[in-house]
Amino acid sequence: MAGLDVGYLAAYAISFASVAAVAFAVVYFSRRWSVSLGPARIWGLGRDEARRLKTGDPVFLMHLSIALGVGLTIADAVLAPAMGMAPLLLAAFRVASVPLAAGLAVAFGWRVQRYFQSRRVGREVHVTEGFASASKTLQIVLMAAIALTTSELVLLWFPALGWADLLLDAARNSLVAGYYARPSINLFAKFDRPLASLRTPFNLADVMAGKTDPEAIKVGVGKVSDFTADQSLSFDSCVEIGACEAACPATAAGRPLSPRVLVRKVSLLSRAGRESDPFTSVAEDELWSCTSCGACVASCPVGVKHLDVIYDLRRELVSKGKLDKEKSGMLANLAQSQNPYGFKNSTRAGWAEGLGIDTLAANPKAEYLYWVGCVSSFDQRAQRIAKALAKILKSAGVSFAILGGEEMCVGDPARRLGEEGRYQELALQNIEKLNSYGVKKIIATCPHCFNALKNEYPQFGAKFDVVYHTQLISDLIRDGKVSVPREKVQNISVTLHDACYASRYNSVFDQPREALAASVHDLREMGRRKEKTFCCGAGGSNYWFNVPHRRSIAGIRAEEAARTGAKTIATECPFCLSMFDDATKVTNSGMDVRDVAEIVAECI
Amino acid sequence: MKIAVCVKHAVDEAELRLDTEGRPVLAGAAGKMSTFDKNAVEEGLRLKSAHQGEVVVFVVGAAESKKTLKEALAMGADRGVFVAADPLVIDALRTASMLAAAIRRSGPYDVVICSEGSSDTYTGQVPPMLGELLGVAYVGYARKIEVTGGSARVERSLEDSVEAVETSVPFAVSVVSEINEPRYPTLVQIMQASKKPIEELNGGEIAPPGTISGVEVVSMSSQPSTRKHVMIEGGPDEAAAKLLDALSREGVLK
Amino acid sequence: MSGDVWVYSESEGVSAEVASAAQDVARGASAEVRVVDIGSPRQGIRGSGVRLLLKGPSGPDVSPAVAAEALARAAKDLSPVAVLLGATRDGREAASRLAAKLGVGCMAEVVKLASDGQGVTGERNVYAGKVVAKTRCQFPAVVTVKTGAYPRAEALPERTQEVEVGQVSDRSKVVGREKKAAGGVDLRSAKVIVSAGRGVKKREDLSMLEDLAVTMHGALGCSRPLSADLGWLPEEHHIGLTGVTVKPDLYLAIGISGQLQHVAGMKDSKIVASINTDKDAPIFQASDYCIVGDLYQVVPALRRALSARR
Repeated sequence: MAGLDVGYLAAYAISFASVAAVAFAVVYFSRRWSVSLGPARIWGLGRDEARRLKTGDPVFLMHLSIALGVGLTIADAVLAPAMGMAPLLLAAFRVASVPLAAGLAVAFGWRVQRYFQSRRVGREVHVTEGFASASKTLQIVLMAAIALTTSELVLLWFPALGWADLLLDAARNSLVAGYYARPSINLFAKFDRPLASLRTPFNLADVMAGKTDPEAIKVGVGKVSDFTADQSLSFDSCVEIGACEAACPATAAGRPLSPRVLVRKVSLLSRAGRESDPFTSVAEDELWSCTSCGACVASCPVGVKHLDVIYDLRRELVSKGKLDKEKSGMLANLAQSQNPYGFKNSTRAGWAEGLGIDTLAANPKAEYLYWVGCVSSFDQRAQRIAKALAKILKSAGVSFAILGGEEMCVGDPARRLGEEGRYQELALQNIEKLNSYGVKKIIATCPHCFNALKNEYPQFGAKFDVVYHTQLISDLIRDGKVSVPREKVQNISVTLHDACYASRYNSVFDQPREALAASVHDLREMGRRKEKTFCCGAGGSNYWFNVPHRRSIAGIRAEEAARTGAKTIATECPFCLSMFDDATKVTNSGMDVRDVAEIVAECI
Repeated sequence: MKIAVCVKHAVDEAELRLDTEGRPVLAGAAGKMSTFDKNAVEEGLRLKSAHQGEVVVFVVGAAESKKTLKEALAMGADRGVFVAADPLVIDALRTASMLAAAIRRSGPYDVVICSEGSSDTYTGQVPPMLGELLGVAYVGYARKIEVTGGSARVERSLEDSVEAVETSVPFAVSVVSEINEPRYPTLVQIMQASKKPIEELNGGEIAPPGTISGVEVVSMSSQPSTRKHVMIEGGPDEAAAKLLDALSREGVLK
Repeated sequence: MSGDVWVYSESEGVSAEVASAAQDVARGASAEVRVVDIGSPRQGIRGSGVRLLLKGPSGPDVSPAVAAEALARAAKDLSPVAVLLGATRDGREAASRLAAKLGVGCMAEVVKLASDGQGVTGERNVYAGKVVAKTRCQFPAVVTVKTGAYPRAEALPERTQEVEVGQVSDRSKVVGREKKAAGGVDLRSAKVIVSAGRGVKKREDLSMLEDLAVTMHGALGCSRPLSADLGWLPEEHHIGLTGVTVKPDLYLAIGISGQLQHVAGMKDSKIVASINTDKDAPIFQASDYCIVGDLYQVVPALRRALSARR
């Protein structure tokens, strides 16, 4: 390359300045939000990205292509004058450019497809014209960034057009500095915040101890400035990739929610003014549509925490008393009867009558406490899960007891609905009761109870070793404590529906499959499985109220299950069981629905 | 607009226990704000938000009743009046006379709101009695209340008809549950409401008992609450006939 | 005490039942039953030898306020031992007002009335029907009688005695009245509910159940799949946890399996009868009367049997 003509030098200078702008933006945002860019964080992020790639989600492959493509072209631009002298490096860059360009082309295709999808979604979710045009602009800008990067990779093969490459680079870098620096910092700052973590605006124990003045407590978000700086960073990082929307069961069901639209609405509002009322653009049903399945958060390549918006705005609605009778009735039941149904709580051990199951009061030395949960306590169908687990534990000689009438709702329905105070009250009462019996190990058959006991209660002083029933059952089978005789293995075809709060929230997905593999001949898989499972529609307190939809979430999933050709849907959550019991009646697929524990118990 | 709302701390029938002889254990029984009283409080709050003013909540009962008063305050009422009396002894007329006395002391009020009846004993007598004792217009079973200046238009929900009634302020009214969806007070709001003022009165002092004995409860016994689970056998026509016989014996066939 | 037992002739059906109850009280108190008309005589309600007509209030409709005032004025002169009214919404209001005006006790929604000559005793359901309370009130007493608890009284030969009570005014004025929509589902106040579940195979088949509901003077409800998932019925028909909570006298569950989601919305019904093909359906655990059978055979049979009885 003829090194020293003025035009080329100018192009290089412009490109170099744009690289500096990118570097400046990254440093600026990392300082602004006090994000460490140290080697340990970088290593951690790398490992996390590798873990996400392993889920096989194409979005992460595209994400990686974009990140590496941008990195490679920046390196190429910076090193451009020296490239002529380093033929090996150039060759390496050219080799790398091929898969990256392919990845970028796919990403471009994805964006085009999401662009048209988002127009369809825009008709089902309440959006203003202003929103639609801002959204369109952002999507086109980022399509341009991807197109520019792809072109740069192609130009690696045409040294004669080096100056053009540099100008493209400068254009692209200015887009990166403007649009990608913040998401990168957000991802960097948040990649290790677990899905199960919820903002806790106050601690009830402190209020009761007089350490916090109840007047000073602010629950919920009534204006955008009430969001924390971290949350604002997260929402402003959205670049409308649309992975959340593609994964969202509410959007798929035609409910008035798209996590992409919701986050962007909040982000645009905060630009309109720090005092903006989020409810001027966010509708109530938009918030109630969320099943808290976490697919949006898990699928976002830039680490946006959509659920934070949902919970904070739901909390605001609860504080303002904007609840219909189903929601307020459920909360009133929790307050009055300590279970969401409003049944007399002392009768919750009715299912255990005559089964020789001890309460902790009768047998305080039991090794495990079996935390039954409200559904398996009161719902006649779900009681069979509890009975099945009891049968398995007894046959394995595991020492266990239940709390009986002393168990209260774990609080999850209150918390997901946005009534943090009632949740914490239940949590504190349950923890006190469990501690009074010196409980160390807990088994749960409801993933919502499991998640609360395992991940949330420690924040309020709990120290329990919590195991999910499918984990324990699989361990008991592996250790030979539960034996399934060959002739008892069931000759049925089964597909497992992973419960969000077990699989996506807590990475429990191999053990239920092991337990099923030992109990049935034919185990089939749905496309969306394990941490990529698709919600049954009951989570996020949705079991307790209705949201308008085009079709039911459970119905979508039941059809997916039917397509495997399996005759049985295996569930691991009493809510999923109930949802599919209804859904299979509607689809007339003739599939039956049973918990993993029931299937195993039938074999012993 | 000055609005009085009367509430009751009712026995929580879901948690009611029976003694060995099948009698309900009322001493120390779990209580709650009577279900429809939430609608009464809600309607008071709605009238306040439309007309400004103050919502004062009244309760007659044992000390636990203050819990219900606090719930109403957490919903948004401004202050409470607690009238101490033994709920197991007083009948509807005594309750109404205590409420009337307490309301007169802190009145006058433009509107006095009750619910149509309590969720535990459901006599539905206190609201009309209160209207009589206060000497104001009374409209029962309201499903809609509109106040304009000195007059009000109320829709009464009767068994098979809806009656529109015009009345004048001040008036007393009882509301049915379909009138609104009561708001749910959060736990934090209940804690925050603990700072709102509650005046304490003694029912026997503000409304001395007269000579009438009123209605007394002679005895209470439980009804079998479990389902009968009678399996009706036979072909369709035979089973249908047997079912109808059984239902008319139960007195539930119109 | 030698006063009479009064029955206010508020409306034809109810007051004829109240007249039966009054005969029980009169027997124990060695008193006579008097049907009391206000303003103008009502047709069809009989049960006493002498009938009182309170003259003064005019107009076709007598509001509870006017009824209470007229009855109070007459009662002060004639000292009845007891005044009985039907426990309708208007009847309950009139009774409560009357008791407050007279300063006497008032028994609400009573069944099994009796008298020992000094007062009235009666039973009533409290605490959501879990408990029966036996209550007593000294003469003079005001009583409302639960509707449907007594048969209609037989007609007796009557002569009418007029009583002048003067003009009675009401602070409130009725300015409009309309029937609640006949097929309108006010499930919460329906006495009989016929409820459809997924055992109903086609949307068109719902008309069969609707017919049954109409024949039984009831309303049609359904379980969640029919409204929320299939959209066969509007949401206000949906009974259950995420729908309406109902407490009818009779709940007839047809083709409903009985998930807790549904049962939570109807568990406080007085009597539950259910029809299901699956003998293990959980709904039978929540039922008083259970028919294991095909709803497509049993429902038409019920229709036939009902029309044969009427």
